[in-house]
Amino acid sequence: MSIFIPIKAKIKKHHVIALGLFGLTATLCWLTGSQFLSMHQKDTFYPSAGLTIQTKLSEYFPQLADTPGDTDVYCFKGEEEGGNLLILGGTHPNEPAGFITAVLLLENINVSRGTVFIVPQANLSGFTHDDPFEGNPQKFSIETPGGTRWFRFGSRLTNPIHQWPDPTLFTNAAGQALSGAEVRNLNRSYPGKEKGHLTEKIAFGIVQLIIKEEIDLSLDLHEAAPEYPVVNAIVFHENSAELAAIASMELQMEGMDIRMEASPPSLRGLSHREWGDFTKTMAILLETTNASHGRLKGKPSEALIVEGKDPNYAKASRLGLLFVPYSEDGIPIKERVARHLAAVHALVSGLRELNPDLAIDIGNFPPAQTVNERGIGLYLHSPK
Amino acid sequence: MIKIIYHLIVLFLTLNLIWYLFREKQFWAQVSTAIVLIMFLLRLFLIK
Repeated sequence: MSIFIPIKAKIKKHHVIALGLFGLTATLCWLTGSQFLSMHQKDTFYPSAGLTIQTKLSEYFPQLADTPGDTDVYCFKGEEEGGNLLILGGTHPNEPAGFITAVLLLENINVSRGTVFIVPQANLSGFTHDDPFEGNPQKFSIETPGGTRWFRFGSRLTNPIHQWPDPTLFTNAAGQALSGAEVRNLNRSYPGKEKGHLTEKIAFGIVQLIIKEEIDLSLDLHEAAPEYPVVNAIVFHENSAELAAIASMELQMEGMDIRMEASPPSLRGLSHREWGDFTKTMAILLETTNASHGRLKGKPSEALIVEGKDPNYAKASRLGLLFVPYSEDGIPIKERVARHLAAVHALVSGLRELNPDLAIDIGNFPPAQTVNERGIGLYLHSPK
Repeated sequence: MIKIIYHLIVLFLTLNLIWYLFREKQFWAQVSTAIVLIMFLLRLFLIK
């Protein structure tokens, strides 16, 4: 007992305050730290029974193994020979319709002819962080009949924890000079570099996949801000112009307004340019309208991502500043995903028309109209 | 190796801050130290 008396006597008021402040500091660190680390929690997908094999991008470029860029590749192979299709979502993790379309397909389809490869999170590293100063939510939720599913909303760029520092000026593998931060933009890094930065290695891995699997048609699913001219569009390499025209006509006949944009030969490093130049694939990029990553948006929120309603954009539309119709009702993710689904379907049909040997028969393809009317959740697996 | 050196530097500065927090008698100086300490603790434990 006598041992403790002098110690007790030594404890002063400022020690108690220091202890309290230290406790408060540790609590704040725990709260913010756990939220930060939750960004590394992986999305869960439930591939359909039609899945043939699930592999990794490192299968095509072993240097990616055990890196944050080694993403999942889902392969659906039909019994009959046919064409090979690649669907890439999540090139830009802040463009959720592309990512969710890929997820919707991998959780539903079966293939009886040809082969379909799906990469839902092309830039997996970009899903592990947010754009600074944007105030975007880290996740968004979609209701399914069996409960709520959440999905990561990430950044356009690779996580700087995984690739740092950015140069002042970035000259990509195709020779185009860009601003420094674009060194972490997957869709400026094609055809990639075997010994480059992480993002260039991911791009190189995807190009290797296209070459090794002899992909006939490659689709890169994106979204664009409503004030961006290339929106609700099929961006095509000259080798896929005919296919894009066939698909565009089919979509227009179905009542879906979609514009055709030729890939500019001088704009280098993008999928629709370099995939077509460096491989034999028909390269196409699809764009829908996403208000949540536009510059005119108001308060960022999960509702903005899912419902796509933003009064600023509605006002901009009334002032004639946008390239797409945008009302107070917004453009919800179900409509954006439905657009992607309809375009993918039209392009696969067009491929069959152009070359019957490259026909791909996809069963259980989520119908665009039903997705638009009844929502995405109907076609997503219930959470386990 | 460079990561270990970085961790050791951050750990040294963190321990210094904690020592200063308990030694300092002025309340507002203690609060300022605690605010700086948050960033150092996050640096110490959130390196990926």
